[in-house]
Amino acid sequence: MILKTKQLSKSFGGLKAINKVDFELPKNEIRGIIGPNGSGKSTFFNLVSGIYDSDPGSYIEFDGHDITFTPPHEIASYGLSRTFQLLRLYQDMTVIDNVMSGYHTRVPYKFFDAVIGRKKIWDQERAIKEEMMELLSFVGLADYAELNASELSGGQRRLLVLARAIAMKPKLLMLDEPAAGLSPVNVDNLMKIIMQLKEKYGLTLIIIEHILKVVMDTCNSVTVFDHGQKIAEGTPAQVKDDNAVIEAYLGKKMDDEEMRKALAV
Amino acid sequence: MEKFKSIIRDYPFIAFIIAFVILAFVPSVVFTDVYQSHLATLIFVNIVVAAGLNIVKGYCGQVTVGHVGLFAVGSYTAGTLFLYLGLGFWATLPIAIIVTAFFGVAMGIPSFRLEGPYLALATLGGGEAIRLFIENGNFFRSTFGISDIPTPSLMGYNFDSPDRYYFISMTIMIIAVYFSFSILRSGVGRAFMSIREDPICAAAAGINVKKYKILAFILSAMFAGAAGAVYAHMPPGYIHPNNYTVIEMVTFLAMVVLGGLGHIWGGIIGAIVITIVYDLTRPLYKYQLLIFGLTIVLTILFMPKGLGGFIDRYFLEKRFKKKTGTEKKT
Repeated sequence: MILKTKQLSKSFGGLKAINKVDFELPKNEIRGIIGPNGSGKSTFFNLVSGIYDSDPGSYIEFDGHDITFTPPHEIASYGLSRTFQLLRLYQDMTVIDNVMSGYHTRVPYKFFDAVIGRKKIWDQERAIKEEMMELLSFVGLADYAELNASELSGGQRRLLVLARAIAMKPKLLMLDEPAAGLSPVNVDNLMKIIMQLKEKYGLTLIIIEHILKVVMDTCNSVTVFDHGQKIAEGTPAQVKDDNAVIEAYLGKKMDDEEMRKALAV
Repeated sequence: MEKFKSIIRDYPFIAFIIAFVILAFVPSVVFTDVYQSHLATLIFVNIVVAAGLNIVKGYCGQVTVGHVGLFAVGSYTAGTLFLYLGLGFWATLPIAIIVTAFFGVAMGIPSFRLEGPYLALATLGGGEAIRLFIENGNFFRSTFGISDIPTPSLMGYNFDSPDRYYFISMTIMIIAVYFSFSILRSGVGRAFMSIREDPICAAAAGINVKKYKILAFILSAMFAGAAGAVYAHMPPGYIHPNNYTVIEMVTFLAMVVLGGLGHIWGGIIGAIVITIVYDLTRPLYKYQLLIFGLTIVLTILFMPKGLGGFIDRYFLEKRFKKKTGTEKKT
């Protein structure tokens, strides 16, 4: 198990955004998380990556480390990387700087070496830059490396955010709606890139996505959230036919008697 | 030429040594009177402050308006150490840097909770508090200022006139710029920038936001402290609380903004331009602040990356055209 949560809860005032979720994720799996808006998917990500503190009684374990009360930057250094729904691109930095800043946890030198400006630093910086350029050309952004991130198009931004999250060579990558706002062709392209990256880096993935086609096609297993609770889990096919899931998305299925009553009023 | 370039790339300090040698010949070749050396020293002091301010404001994105307070701490550490202990420049400079670093920590702690204009207000309060503290205690000789702070001497050679002190201020400036250059070019500079752009995402990418924020404040405080000490020992060696008001802060801000926030040479270009303009427009002193305020506003409106960014943009577009063979629409 690379990620494990027990009784994970988070409330904002009276609202239970996440309510006692037990979640387990084996290595090398692609897990999809779906659910209606406001069902707690993003909150779940924020709790796991340490951006929110979870409520007392929760327990989160990542790759053998107890990360329940660990600050986000330490969690990242254990090898957990994520993207954000609203991208959170570094707008005023160049594309290559964006990706290189994702490398931070792997930077090999110490601060004082950097102050003195030893040769070793510049060599290593150049090596990092080369590696990151390779990553950029892999996602198809190499030509734009020196432009500001704010000058990229929507689809390119999605790719850049993905590259930045990969740069730290994570063990677990959590993608928050990677394909939101993309055209069908771009979605296919993005998913292809994600699959290739998974193979290349041996990633475990969690994907929040509203485009069900993406989830059904790529994920090994799917977890469904509703009102902060986990309502279903299983292979895509199982989940698709789950009554609780259908109810969450479409409403309850009525039998004939109920239907007649509803129509009679 | 290619070989020379690669040597500079590996050992950037060689470029700084070359700059040092060139600058060392400037007074004897270019300058016609002592006043110009004095002005050059002022430029160097301002460059050091602006380079420090660029770290915390331009790179780390923490809006601090109390930097002049740190500058004052540097000056007054040097001044009082001379006044009560009779220490000379070589002792007061490092002590001033260390003391100012501690004040930098105090100035930086509010940044954990505050952002943008609120942080600006907090640091403005901090800077003013330092100045008022100095002004209202007789310990710091506030009424008359501290005078006759001695110039440094090295191996029997006394840097006692502006054209000699030029070499001291220049050396300090080159060293400071070199440090700021290598810090900002490394991963540390990148971490600063990502905190400026988005602290939450920076934290998720493994950057310890609090640590780097306070580091930025400490570094820039050390720069301000060094500048302050150099300023205090500058002939004729006189400091007064009136030299550390908000007005000076506006000048420092104008330097960094005009030069280019978050541009590696930003503070330096700005410091040179503003100091010279400031000096040339002395007869119009009534309008100086108006002009600098206007400069800040207009630069932010029309040239948000300052002169440095403007120049960069030009070269970048040229390279982009060459690489892709297309004209980029902006």
